[in-house]
Amino acid sequence: MKALYALGFALLAAILVVVPLTSGNEYELRLFMLFLIYGVIAVGLNVLVGLTGLVSLGQAGLFALGAYTGAILAIRFNLDLVLASIGAAVVAGLFGAALAYPSVRVRGVYLAVVTIAFGLIVENAAIEWQSLTGGTTGLSGIPGPNLFGYPLSGYAFYAVLAITLFLATLATHNLKHSGYGRAMLAVAQSETAARSLGIGATGIRTLAFAVAAMTAGIAGSFYAFLNAYISPDIFTFSDSVRFLLMVILGGAASTFGPVVGAIILTYLPEVLQRFAEWQKFAYGALLLAVMFGLPGGILGTLGQLYARLRPGPRGVDPSQGMPAAELLVGRKPASLETHSLTVRFGGLTALSAASVRVAPGEIHALIGPNGAGKSTFVNTISGFYRPSEGGVHLDGTDLAGIKVHGIARLGLARTFQNTELFGQMTVLENVMVGGFAYHGYGLPGAILRTPRFRREEAACRAAAIGLLDFVGLSDAANEQARFLPFGHQRRLEIARALATRPRLLLLDEPAAGLTTQEIDELEAMIRKIAGLGVSVLLIEHHVDLIMAVADTVTVLDYGQVIASDRPETVQADPRVIEAYFGGPSAILNEEAA
Amino acid sequence: MTTALQYTLSGLAIGGIYALVALGFHIMWSAAKAVNFAHGDTLMIGAVLAVMGIDAGLPLPLACLLAILAGALFGVVLERFAVRPFIGTNASIGWMLTTIAVGIMAESLATMQFGGFSRPLPSPGVAGAISILGAGVYPQELVIPAVALLAMAGLHAMQRHTLVGRAMQAVAHNRQAAALMGINVNRIVMFSFGLAALFGAGAGVLVAPVIQASASMGVLLGLKGFAVAIIGGITSGPGVVLAGLAFGVMEKFVEGYVSTAAREIVGFSAMILVLVAFPQGLFGRREIFKV
Amino acid sequence: MVAPKYLRRVFLAAPLAFTIPSSVLAQQEPCIGNSAAITGPAAFTGQAIRMGAEIAIEEINAKGGVLGKPLRFVQYDDAGAPPRGVDNTRRVALADKCIVILGGYHSTVSVAQVEPVHAIGIPFVGVLAANTQAIENGRNPNYMFRVSAKDKWVARFLVEQAAKVSKNGKIAFFYENTGWGNGAVPDVKAAIAKSGKELVATETFNWNDQDMTAQAIRARDSGADVALFWALDREGNQLVRSMDKVGYKPTIIGAWGIAGNLGELAGPLANGVEVVQTYSFMGNLDHKGQALWQKIQTKYGLKDPSQIKMGSGVANTYDAVYIVAQAIEKAGAYDWKKVREALYQVRYDGLVAKYDPAFDSSDPERQDAILPSEYKLTVWSDGKLLPIAQTPYGRTN
Repeated sequence: MKALYALGFALLAAILVVVPLTSGNEYELRLFMLFLIYGVIAVGLNVLVGLTGLVSLGQAGLFALGAYTGAILAIRFNLDLVLASIGAAVVAGLFGAALAYPSVRVRGVYLAVVTIAFGLIVENAAIEWQSLTGGTTGLSGIPGPNLFGYPLSGYAFYAVLAITLFLATLATHNLKHSGYGRAMLAVAQSETAARSLGIGATGIRTLAFAVAAMTAGIAGSFYAFLNAYISPDIFTFSDSVRFLLMVILGGAASTFGPVVGAIILTYLPEVLQRFAEWQKFAYGALLLAVMFGLPGGILGTLGQLYARLRPGPRGVDPSQGMPAAELLVGRKPASLETHSLTVRFGGLTALSAASVRVAPGEIHALIGPNGAGKSTFVNTISGFYRPSEGGVHLDGTDLAGIKVHGIARLGLARTFQNTELFGQMTVLENVMVGGFAYHGYGLPGAILRTPRFRREEAACRAAAIGLLDFVGLSDAANEQARFLPFGHQRRLEIARALATRPRLLLLDEPAAGLTTQEIDELEAMIRKIAGLGVSVLLIEHHVDLIMAVADTVTVLDYGQVIASDRPETVQADPRVIEAYFGGPSAILNEEAA
Repeated sequence: MTTALQYTLSGLAIGGIYALVALGFHIMWSAAKAVNFAHGDTLMIGAVLAVMGIDAGLPLPLACLLAILAGALFGVVLERFAVRPFIGTNASIGWMLTTIAVGIMAESLATMQFGGFSRPLPSPGVAGAISILGAGVYPQELVIPAVALLAMAGLHAMQRHTLVGRAMQAVAHNRQAAALMGINVNRIVMFSFGLAALFGAGAGVLVAPVIQASASMGVLLGLKGFAVAIIGGITSGPGVVLAGLAFGVMEKFVEGYVSTAAREIVGFSAMILVLVAFPQGLFGRREIFKV
Repeated sequence: MVAPKYLRRVFLAAPLAFTIPSSVLAQQEPCIGNSAAITGPAAFTGQAIRMGAEIAIEEINAKGGVLGKPLRFVQYDDAGAPPRGVDNTRRVALADKCIVILGGYHSTVSVAQVEPVHAIGIPFVGVLAANTQAIENGRNPNYMFRVSAKDKWVARFLVEQAAKVSKNGKIAFFYENTGWGNGAVPDVKAAIAKSGKELVATETFNWNDQDMTAQAIRARDSGADVALFWALDREGNQLVRSMDKVGYKPTIIGAWGIAGNLGELAGPLANGVEVVQTYSFMGNLDHKGQALWQKIQTKYGLKDPSQIKMGSGVANTYDAVYIVAQAIEKAGAYDWKKVREALYQVRYDGLVAKYDPAFDSSDPERQDAILPSEYKLTVWSDGKLLPIAQTPYGRTN
């Protein structure tokens, strides 16, 4: 696969060099330059749409912001191509980051409508703000492209565009194959899980928006220089649709997909001209055909085909990994304490003054009948719910006001009752996402692939392989997570949680849906995890398992702690027996059946 | 004073159209957690077909009725072929783009059949303006908000008192549970899209005498209808109707006292701000986050 | 900032700059290009240009073409979008190698075309868009020509007419918020100032606006008894309806955006609305007009002259093609530069006007071929746009 990417980049470079030499006339070359500009937008938009899974139908607005900023800087302040484009990137980037803010509250179609509204606002602001933008008449007299005060020839400007597109493609490719890219995919596929692994989802989304906005801004500025004239009707809703379609048609999340999409949709109007008044209809029909025929886009479909024809190895060699014990060495297990934790939903009190103490290094089980408040407890200590009263301390640190990903970074990792895997990533990548908080190379390091980046990525991979070996999944490392059997998915979640190098691991009903044999294996694994120096808080129904592994058992009923002691003591507690409407043996029988 | 009244009356008329369009979005969203992005084109289809019906020599009421039914059929067909295949997939991008594509095709087809021009739909409601305290208004313009309110009340009654209405409520509440209770969810969703399109095409027929029918009339009305649905809270029928009327009046005042370009800036900014402050809209039901 | 020497060499030494001198590429072909709206709401204007151009070219080719070769017509769609107009300009000039490019209906497109037209050096002849700045762009040599109305002159023409019918000398001005409408604002203001009348209300609106009572109320309260329109039919209709609603009944005189189907849209409210045109196929035609109408009838299957939307566009294009053909003959070569110079030499008795000469190189205002004295006032009368002299409205003033 790596060789294919290298080949792809070589091919792209070759095309970018050959086209200007062979183009028959200036018109053809210009059209190709238009493609280069659209390509830059599409490549940036791919980070937002393909990687982060957010739909923007307002990209034309950001394109317009870039074009106007670049044009105004060039006309009024005589800035050259590079400075004007940097200005355009900054302005568009700021607006893009601001656009990410609503995504904190809303997703999906709502967010799409916010972006549509944004595009319309920019278009109308360009009409309204006559003194700056020239209103509907637009801005003409934009100086020709120049650098350091020297005018650029047509070919030099071409070179600037071609190099920009090449670098933008390379940069997004590198971004995708770094911790940031994995974090974006993770946020797109399960935000809940991503946050619990220490990934700040808002930050990642803001980054994606900013990247897409800055590339659109740069492209806009280039466009203004190429066209020498801009007006509000260049940047309409249908252009936003076209930019999005470039990404979808070429193949969202693929490296070269947006470039392919941009080239097709730049040249399509030329081809469609022959349909005269039918051309818009043909365009709509094509859009429809893509959605039905090629939902993965051109390169996405080709990629699947390639994977089917030449499947790679299913697993990895565990010897490449770093043993889990080594990864977690030198960490002190954490204690967890809750003080009169109370959570209310409207009038319903789900958790009432629950005080629980998990001692460092112990395996602590939390049980209770359905509706006892176990899930609420788990979600509150991991930060998903806000307590109405009381507080949580991890190793003495008050967790009040700390967000989910912050709590994860303090050393609390968790799994989920309904598994929350990143289904379309490989098993190995799933675990590598867990290492996100330990990447020190930063965004520039990821894009430039610095030595530090390579070193840390290799370490992250080795750690992930070691953890897969630890849970016995290294022979399925390259499989997509959603194709794993259910029991393996549970184990993968444990490996992924361990990749955050936690000091306390919270297992939310890990035995649910497992076979007896798998439960036995789970039991051994929980002991091994505790043996690595990680406190374990186990939420479980399965009494056999609890009695076998737990050092302490806490029983919740109607949101209150009714017992907390050694397993055998709890088992004999009459209040516990009453809560379960039967004797301890009855519980055992019921659960075993 | 007269000016303010004039703006209010004109605003209520266009607001009534937003309300009817938004009501359609509410119905579709409740049924499928998906909408038809070409809903504005449903409105266009209603208006354009009514005019073409008149051209073909049909009497006005019949032309309007057939146009509305054709619009409803468009909604049903679109749901079956452009929306349903993409329901339940993780991202909403699928049905967003397919419905946008159908909208592009519908608009282009209408331009070819109907011409690029706007055309009038004759109606007794615009034969002469009447004066209310110095403000001039066509009777048709007074009818529109009244129809919007009637549609809202009718929908409410249907959801309460008819079997299909209750089934719609059930599907809106929980799709799987509704299916388990023996409700044919697909049929309810299809019915909902048809009903929404019926309201949309009806809005088109109602508004055509006032703003004239043209192939391109739907896009902006559709977008604004959706904005209104979001402001009002897409899960609340009365909410979107009230928001629609208020939005129309607000537009007229901005247009009157500032400018028409400012109207779009203010309107869409208001939508974004409402969404940031109240993600569920002003009157919508909060969706509870579950881990 | 000082660029390193090698940079300067790389970026400046590239021998093939984008402005290739036309003499190097002097293999233009006998073809006339056009970028216009073929799709979208203004598709009828692309159709009008096509009719005028095709008939003129057929006639010219029947007589042997230009310089011994038949002329061709190439039309590309810009849907009214400037960037596509710019691309089409380059395509016509550089890929099709046409000698001349005709303009379209949208002023914003024409303004955007100024830059590529001059970068390439291909003569541009506008046949519809009336925006003043597109042609009077301050370039020298100027490659932009026009055989159509010019807003500056239209404004004077309309203001003169307004001054004639206004009783209190107060004029209101309504214009669409587009490149076309905004471009006309200074022209109208200047013309009114010059006429000594008073501009008491200046109101604007956007495309697709559905209600203009706000603007109508302000104009009514300003006391203007004549209203000038720079609007298209759709918005013009909303204007007259909104005026009707608020009980405002000024005399309305408009630029030709309302020459399409205002009569159908507004019904009786359109009666008496005056529109300036360069040509009308309605009413009594002279023998040239009659001959052209008959060709349109047979070639495009039309039955009634009212089916021609934007008749001025058909006539302007028809004349423009003849003027271009003559210029090519005079230039003696299919060469952009020579044809541009020859355009100033053409004298031609056309359908719209007697061009004597068509253009004048000594007067920057005379890149326009149709003089205001040739403008025709027409009036909406029961759904038809008739020359004003042939209607009851003509007799009253």
